[in-house]
Amino acid sequence: MALFEIKNLTFSYPETQTPALKDISLSIEQGDFVVICGKSGCGKSTLLRHFKTVLTPYGKREGEILFEGERLEQVSMRTQAGQIGYVLQNPDNQLVTDKVWHELAFGVENLGFDQQTIRLRVAEMASFFGIQNWFHRNVETLSGGQKQLLNLASVMAMQPKVLVLDEPTSQLDPIAASDFLATIRKINLDLGITIILIEHRLEEVFPMADKVLVLEDGKKIFYDSPRMVGKALADNDLFLAMPTAVQVYNAAGQIGECPLTVCEGRNWLETHYSPAPFPEPQAQKKKPAEVIVEAKEIWFRYEKDGRDVVKDLSMQVRKGELYCLLGGNGTGKSTTLSLLSGIRKPYRGRILLGGKDIRRIGDRERYDHFLGVLPQNPQTLFVGNTVEEDLREMLTDCSAQEKKRRRAVMDQVIDDTEIRHLLHMHPYDLSGGEQQRAALAKVLLLEPQILLLDEPTKGRDGFYKYKLAGIFRTLTQRGITIVMVSHDIEFCASYADTCAMFFDGGIVTAQDARAFFTGNCFYTTVANRMARNMFPGAVTVKDVIESCRQNRRQA
Amino acid sequence: MKGDVFASYHPAVNFLYFVLVIGCSMFVMHPIFLALSCIGGMAYYLYLKKWKALKTALWMMLPVFLLSAIVNPLFTHKGVTVLTYFKNGNPLTLESILYGLGAGVMLVSVLNWFSCYQVVMTSDKFIYLFGKVIPAMSLILSMVFRFVPKFQKQIEKVSDAQKCIGRDVANGNVLDRAHHGTKILSVMTTWALENSVETADSMKSRGYGLRGRNNFSIYRFDTRDQVMTTAMAVMGLMVLAGIATKMVHFLYYPMIVINDLTVGAVLVYLCYGVLCFLPVGINVIEDIKWHYLKSKI
Repeated sequence: MALFEIKNLTFSYPETQTPALKDISLSIEQGDFVVICGKSGCGKSTLLRHFKTVLTPYGKREGEILFEGERLEQVSMRTQAGQIGYVLQNPDNQLVTDKVWHELAFGVENLGFDQQTIRLRVAEMASFFGIQNWFHRNVETLSGGQKQLLNLASVMAMQPKVLVLDEPTSQLDPIAASDFLATIRKINLDLGITIILIEHRLEEVFPMADKVLVLEDGKKIFYDSPRMVGKALADNDLFLAMPTAVQVYNAAGQIGECPLTVCEGRNWLETHYSPAPFPEPQAQKKKPAEVIVEAKEIWFRYEKDGRDVVKDLSMQVRKGELYCLLGGNGTGKSTTLSLLSGIRKPYRGRILLGGKDIRRIGDRERYDHFLGVLPQNPQTLFVGNTVEEDLREMLTDCSAQEKKRRRAVMDQVIDDTEIRHLLHMHPYDLSGGEQQRAALAKVLLLEPQILLLDEPTKGRDGFYKYKLAGIFRTLTQRGITIVMVSHDIEFCASYADTCAMFFDGGIVTAQDARAFFTGNCFYTTVANRMARNMFPGAVTVKDVIESCRQNRRQA
Repeated sequence: MKGDVFASYHPAVNFLYFVLVIGCSMFVMHPIFLALSCIGGMAYYLYLKKWKALKTALWMMLPVFLLSAIVNPLFTHKGVTVLTYFKNGNPLTLESILYGLGAGVMLVSVLNWFSCYQVVMTSDKFIYLFGKVIPAMSLILSMVFRFVPKFQKQIEKVSDAQKCIGRDVANGNVLDRAHHGTKILSVMTTWALENSVETADSMKSRGYGLRGRNNFSIYRFDTRDQVMTTAMAVMGLMVLAGIATKMVHFLYYPMIVINDLTVGAVLVYLCYGVLCFLPVGINVIEDIKWHYLKSKI
């Protein structure tokens, strides 16, 4: 008997014309690892919330959902609470209590077990997840990865049969995300627990999955093994989100078996193609633009007795380029950004913006028409009740003539960031990507020459990143300089002009993006890792595909 | 406090102890009691906070003591032993001076004990104890302790973000600042409500609201706690009995009266002394034990 059986499920939210889910039927077997993917707004989360009665949204519903052969509404709340475990997106908001041990026990407490049982369950889970070392800590002292692991452990303590996860790694850095996904995998393999997962790090989860469900506009378009789905999506634009190996395979004409991982991809390339170095692109002989952001040997620490977070950092950013700071977690990247924006001050060294010392630039001058900063969480910028109100807020405190000019600017910014259809909505009701664009619009209204961005691609899916890159290009062409901090190697490889490797409080190397990635052998794109033996010099998926087309091995 | 052995006892033991000692310190103005409580409390606070305790003593406790010692004789003129007369004709009496000194010591020792209380009775112990009285209370308190630092962190982030668009409380003139401040506060309310939706989902999804919720705690009332509670109860009762039977007894007004130094009185002093030095004593014994263990290795 299937664990979950969905029959002809159609669902629409109140006061909407188009249904969010259309006639979905599928069955999930005990022990399956199911990955759900699709564009933002395609109904993934809505579908996920149907797997538990207390989380099911209000609205009009047809069709039925069976849990182990019984209608889900008729399964008791107690059984549902214990057997269907949920982990949601935001690690912080899911934590209810202040202590790690209390959080672990929370679910089991609710089920009303006696002290001895709770003690055992908690001990079991703490050991399985390696939590014993931070068992007594306050939850706010934990890192994002630890918080999400705690959420998972707390759910696991209730001994569920199925785990339902809604983009659990979107707020985590790549290493914490990999660890988290590996743990999910282990739970699936070692304990036989069914996993239903929404995830946009498809590069990693695709090879793990037994089944992949693809949704488009609330309809199920594919539900099959990853290899079959990878193959079938060849001419769908969802293809952009697929793992590198699948993208290359599809674009190069689907020869042989579809590879999923880097290793499979490498072998596949070797069987079907002959090696050839990727031609170096003609270096455009452009006169290097003037330096607009410059840091000279700056040092920074948060407390007098603390350690140095930024050490002897020097950097130069030229006008009109997209400059990416790459590097691991906690190396001081975000701190550097706050130094450049003038929120924090280095205790040694100088920062020059447009050739002028940052300390000499007054607040008004600095943030008006000069420096724009987009924080990691776009929510922190909103103060209005609608997006429009929020944008208009930026027009206050200037003369009537200036106001008129700024209105024109606003019009253009709204078009640039593609948010015209969102103007009447509350900023908190937007999706993550929409929020970010609205926040970016707000910052752009100040008409900055330099834009500082903190991890703009974190938690975003492939299509959105593509869109964002387009916006960035429009801006840099207009002469705006963008400095961004990122973990996202793929994004930086495809769109950055200059990449800098940040490590231990300083920049180890700063190079032209292509040179940067061909030089590295671990810290580089998936495409480069996959093809470096066959097509040295190919960095992006596009490069590899091009090489494939030209170097087909004659049979 | 990591190194404190007394804090490792069951929260109920800790709490009972502080109620007993702070109660006695507040209501018994017998000079020997005052001295014992004051020195005991100070010793414990010194043990907990090391040299930092001296700073508190100097900045907070000394002024309190001086104020009480000086103000009382200036405004109270009760007592039979007149030393001299003020300009306005009011008498300065020996009894009022002594009472002022006594009250000063009392305030200082109570302050000391409360400082120790704060260090030993951490939020989770408090939650645990009061969760027993009102079950929902412990969860609410725990959620509050979770929420407050989260809120603070977010407000910092919002303030930074607003600063970068020139709209923080630190930007502009007074009116602008007030305007920016209210905007930030109002958006923080939205933020808190919005995010609590997800917290509520997470609680519901983990079965909050089902009947028969049980509170889990990591504390266990073991033999050591039983022994300690019994010992504390015996000593506490002896002290209370001594006070009730006026075996120990002290009067400041109208004239100083003190009880005789009987065997019973000495026994009560002794009990109270042990009580006041209990945490320090336990710690010292433990330190010696460890020293001995270490030298054996």
